[in-house]
Amino acid sequence: MARSSNLVAITGIGVISPFGRGLNALSSGLLACRSCLKPLTIFDAGWNPPPVVAEIPELPEVGDRSGFRLSRTDHLAVIAALDAAEAARDCSDFLESGAVIATTVAGLTEIAPAIVSNPAQYYRAGGFASATSYQASHPADAVGAWLGLRGPCWGVSVACASGAMAIALAADMVRTGYAPMMLAGGSDALAPFTLSGFNSLRALDPDPCRPFDKSRKGLNLGEGAAVFVLETLEHAKARNAKVLAILRGWAMTNDAFHPTAPDEQGRGLSESMASAMAMAGVAPDAVGYVNSHGTGTPLNDVAEVKAYETAFRGRGSPMPVSSTKSFFGHCLGAAGALEAAVTIVSMRSSTLFPTLQLTDPIESPAIDWLMARPRRQPLPVGMTVSAGFGGSNTSLIFELEGNLDRV
Amino acid sequence: MSPHQLSITGIGTVSPFGPLRGLIGQRKTELRTVTAWPTDGVRRAFLVEPFRPADVVPGLKTRRLDRLSGWCLVATALALADARLDLNGENRSRIAVVLGTGFGCIELTEAFLQSAAANGYAQADPILFPETLTNAPAAHVARVFGIRGPNITLSHKGLSGEGAVMQAASLLRGGQADLAIVLAGDTLTRTMYEWFEAAAVLSRAASAPAPVPFSPQRDGFVPGESATAVVMESADRARSRGAPVYATFRTGFMASDPNAGVSVARRALAGSSPPDVRMVIASTNGSAALDDLEGATIREVFGGEAPVIAPKTFLGESDSCGILRLIAALSWADNQARPLAMLLGTSLAGGCAALSFELR
Repeated sequence: MARSSNLVAITGIGVISPFGRGLNALSSGLLACRSCLKPLTIFDAGWNPPPVVAEIPELPEVGDRSGFRLSRTDHLAVIAALDAAEAARDCSDFLESGAVIATTVAGLTEIAPAIVSNPAQYYRAGGFASATSYQASHPADAVGAWLGLRGPCWGVSVACASGAMAIALAADMVRTGYAPMMLAGGSDALAPFTLSGFNSLRALDPDPCRPFDKSRKGLNLGEGAAVFVLETLEHAKARNAKVLAILRGWAMTNDAFHPTAPDEQGRGLSESMASAMAMAGVAPDAVGYVNSHGTGTPLNDVAEVKAYETAFRGRGSPMPVSSTKSFFGHCLGAAGALEAAVTIVSMRSSTLFPTLQLTDPIESPAIDWLMARPRRQPLPVGMTVSAGFGGSNTSLIFELEGNLDRV
Repeated sequence: MSPHQLSITGIGTVSPFGPLRGLIGQRKTELRTVTAWPTDGVRRAFLVEPFRPADVVPGLKTRRLDRLSGWCLVATALALADARLDLNGENRSRIAVVLGTGFGCIELTEAFLQSAAANGYAQADPILFPETLTNAPAAHVARVFGIRGPNITLSHKGLSGEGAVMQAASLLRGGQADLAIVLAGDTLTRTMYEWFEAAAVLSRAASAPAPVPFSPQRDGFVPGESATAVVMESADRARSRGAPVYATFRTGFMASDPNAGVSVARRALAGSSPPDVRMVIASTNGSAALDDLEGATIREVFGGEAPVIAPKTFLGESDSCGILRLIAALSWADNQARPLAMLLGTSLAGGCAALSFELR
C-alpha cells in the first residue's frame, strides 16, 4: 500500500457550471439528464442563428478587492475557489497554499476587436482597466487575492487539457513538499473570440452535440469553473479533513503530431492513460469508468476510441465510457477540472452518467457506451481524460479512500 | 551531489543580441527604434532584430506561426545542440517541454482580432486561430522535435521565467520526466506598448537615453522581448553523459506577495550565507516602486556582501525574462571562489521569487 505522505487527497471541490453553483447542482442536473445546451443569449456576436452553447445566466456576487478588476473567467474561478476552500480555510497552513488555475480564454472575454485599430484610443475610451485581466495568470491571481493565499499563484494554458493538467501539476507540488496545500482547477467563460475561432474551423455543431455518435458534427462551447483543494493524505488526516477522493495517478503526454488534429491512432492519449495507471498501481480491470474528452468532433472521437482500445487491451470486459460534454458543452480550460468533478460525483454516488444524444455510437468491442440514462454501479476507481489543441493529453485516476487497501 | 540537483546543460536564446547558442558573453546591446507600428514620435525598446529562423535552423518552417513560436523553435534547436543532445538516443516520452510566458502568442491574437474587426466574428480567419493559443509555441516544439512528454505552458506575470524553472524542477523531481526543455518568452506588440504608455510605467528612455536601475534618475522601465531555452536534467544524468554544465539549480521559492522577498530569498539560500553568493541577479528595471522593493530585500538579506547585477539594464523588461537574466549574468561573474548565483524576481502584480543556482 502506498504511504499516505505520497498520496494526494482531494479535500474540497468548488464548481460553477451551467447547472448552477455547487456540486449538488451538478450532480442533480446530471442525474436528471438535463441538457444545458441552448442558443446563446448572454452576448450578441453577430451569428444568425446564434450558436448552441451552455451558458451560466447569472453569476453570484463575490465582492471586490482593491486594484482588481474581474473578468468573467476570473469571476467563475473565484466562485469555485471560494466554495472549494470552504472546508479548508480554518486550517493553520491554508494561507501558505498556492493556486494553479487553468484557462484558455482568461480576460479575452473583456476585450473588443477595436483594441487593435488604435490601442491608445481604446484604452482612453475605457478599455484600459479591462485589459488588465488579459493574461492567463489573472484567474489564479484573482483566486489568490480573494482567498488571501501567500503561496505561488500561476496560470496554466494548454488548450483543452488545461484543467486536468492544473490538477496534475498541483498534485506534484504537494507530493514533493513544495506547498502544504494547493488549489487547482480551471475556469473559462464563453467569449466571442473562442466562438469565432471554433466557428472558423467549422468545429461547432449547430445542434446539441452528439459525442461518439456516428452522426456527430462537432462541439458546443460551454463555460464554468471547478477548483479542488489538494493536500497529501497524511496532511489531510492530521487535520481531520474529510477526504472526498484520492488522486491516485496522473500523467501528461503530447502527441507531437499536429497543431490541431489528434494523433489518428490516439497514441499520446493512450500513453497518458497507461502511465497514469502505472503510477496509480492499478490494472485496466480496476478502473470502472472513464469520463472521456469526447468533444463530438469527427477526428477527436475516433482517435479517442482507438486510444481506449490500446490502453485497456486485455481488460476482461468493455470499459464504461461517457462524455458529459453532451450535458454542459466543452468548457475549454475548465473542461478537465469539471469532468474530474463529475468523475468524483460518479464515484461518491455510485452513478455513471451517460452521453446524451448518443444513439448510434462508434463501434468498438473495447467500449461499453453509457447512453440514455444514468447507471447505478459502484465505482471505487474512476478515470478522466483530457486532450487539446497542440497535442496535450492528461489522464487522472481517482479512487475512494476506503478502497485503498483493495487496489 | 543529490539527485535532486538539476543541471542546465544547454542554452539557446533569441534576444536583442540575436539568436545565440550558449552563453551570451559580455556583449553590449542598444535600444532600437520601434518601426513595427505607427508611433507618435520616436519610441524605443530592447527589440529582437528581425531574422529568418531557417537561416539559423535549416529547413525550419515558421511562416504561419506567431513570432514567439518561431523564436521558441530556434531557441530550442540551439539549446539542444549546445547540450550535445541527440534526441534519437533519448526516450522522447520522458522529455518535458515547459514554457513560461506572460502574454503568449499576442501578435497573432491581435491579427485574429483584426480579422474579426474587419469581417465580423462570424467570418474570422481560420488559419490564425490555432496559432493564437498560449500553448502553441510549446506544442510546436513538441511537434518539430518529436517530444512526447508533458507539455506545459504557464503564465505567472513577471515571474513567468522563474515559474517555468520551478515547474520543470517539480516535474523532474516528481519523476514525470527525465529531462526538460525549459522555455520562456514574450514578444512586444503595439497593444502592449501602448498599454504600458497608458499606465505611465515607461521610462522617458523609451524616447530618450537609457534608464539605470537603482539610480536616482530612474523613471520607469524600457520594454524588451526575447525567448530563451535551456536544457535541464539531473546532475547525475548530465555527468554520466559528459554534458557541459552551466549552472545547477538547487532550490527556489515563490510567494504571491511581492513584499515577501526577504523571506523567499532567505529560504532560497538554504543554509548558505551571503559571502557564498557570487552574484545576486536582480529583476529591478528602473521603476521606482520595484527597485525600492527589491533593493530593500537585497540590502536586508545580502547586505554589502554579494555583488548585484541588474540585466534588465541591457535586456529591457518582459514578463518572462528571468531565465535570460540568469544566462546573461553568468558571463559577467567574477570571484570564482563563490559557488552560488541567486536569481531574484519581483513583480508588483505577481509576487516574488528567489532561485539559487550552483555555478561551475
